[in-house]
Amino acid sequence: MLVELAAEYNILRIDWVKFTFGAIALAVIYFFVVRKAVPRVMKVLDERHDAIEGGIERAKRAEAEAEEIRQQYREKLEESHREYAQELEKAKEQRAVIIAEAREEAQTEANRIIEAAKAQIEADRQQAVVQLRGEIGALSTELASRIVGETLSDGAAQNRVVDRFLEELEQDESAKQAEVR
Amino acid sequence: MSADVRILAAEPGCHLFGDNGCGFEAPTIGMFFPEPWYTGIPRSAGIDLYLVLLLVAVGAVLLLWSWFSKKLSLVPGRRQSVGEMLVLFIRDNITRPTMGAKGDSFIPFMTGIFTLILAMNFTGLIPGMIPVNSNLAFTAMFALVIYVMTIVIGVRNQGGWGYFRNQIFPPGMPKPIYVLVTPIEILSVFLIRPVTHALRLFATMFAGSLLLAVFAYGGWYMLNLTAEPLLAGVSVLYSGAALLGYVAFFVFEIVIMLIQAFVFTLLASLYINQSLEAAH
Repeated sequence: MLVELAAEYNILRIDWVKFTFGAIALAVIYFFVVRKAVPRVMKVLDERHDAIEGGIERAKRAEAEAEEIRQQYREKLEESHREYAQELEKAKEQRAVIIAEAREEAQTEANRIIEAAKAQIEADRQQAVVQLRGEIGALSTELASRIVGETLSDGAAQNRVVDRFLEELEQDESAKQAEVR
Repeated sequence: MSADVRILAAEPGCHLFGDNGCGFEAPTIGMFFPEPWYTGIPRSAGIDLYLVLLLVAVGAVLLLWSWFSKKLSLVPGRRQSVGEMLVLFIRDNITRPTMGAKGDSFIPFMTGIFTLILAMNFTGLIPGMIPVNSNLAFTAMFALVIYVMTIVIGVRNQGGWGYFRNQIFPPGMPKPIYVLVTPIEILSVFLIRPVTHALRLFATMFAGSLLLAVFAYGGWYMLNLTAEPLLAGVSVLYSGAALLGYVAFFVFEIVIMLIQAFVFTLLASLYINQSLEAAH
């Protein structure tokens, strides 16, 4: 039965009319789909791809710009830090200078005061010496009168009196000097 | 379910458990030779169902693509996205893997041929109809177009002798091997390749729709409501099983139609790539 059918219906026979119509169909599809519709879709795909790529490009550029600005800002910040440190250093130096100057001035002033005090002391001493001389004179006069008042018989006693007087005088003198000092 | 089934249904009772004693008549390859409406063309079966179905397929493809490609914008709607997905599918699964970026100019052609073949397969899904590609004339036409394209592109890219030399003497082999390889390559590239390219698509569509017809015919044959109540019940069960088989194979057939359209296009892309590449 199959053999009969195969003889009747040859499935491997290529019908030229079908072949031709198939070719026409393909040609139609070629002109309307392959040449027109699909390229249009692809064009939009490419455009979108470009748009997205462009967007990425723009974003990258903006990012680079921001990075640059940040870098500048950072540099400025560092610079100001540096300047601040310099100022601080300078101020420290100035402070040291001022302190040194003040110290020197104070020292000078102190010296001056000391000198003045010394002079004052010298003057006082001189005055004391002068006064003392005066007093010694008076005392000497008194001693002399005392000696004269005593009997001149006892020469030894006279000597002792003189010695004692002188001794007292010396002691007085040194005590006074110590006091002045 | 199919046209022939309807014809069968009109015939008086050739059913399971029928009393007129006729057996099951399986669908024959006659279903692929529909009665022509016009036979006046010499050496041809004439104008028949295939050409109408071809017209339907071409119309569907044209409609689909004019719909996909109208009012396109950078921000696509759902309709445009589907069209783009189809183009990108062809690019990422057919041209890029076989030809690389240099094959991008073939995307429209491959997309067109894929959708046309797919539509010509899908006519078989219309109840009672057959896939246009179940006739060898159409698949042979496609294969021949690809065959001619490979030769033209090959000669243009590699020079006349260069192309044939690259095909017949695959480079990078020890000389004596060519005694063996060259006849095989001549046969395979210039004879077997186009023939199998055409036959593969034709045969799968042919066999697939025949299988569907068997389930449809069988289901109809086994359904006999005029028999005794018990036997009628059994016949309904049998028929239901056949219907389940039909539905399962229907889904399977959709997948096969997709795969075969894909495979045909992929092979076309592969063959064209061999012509594009200079010596490899």
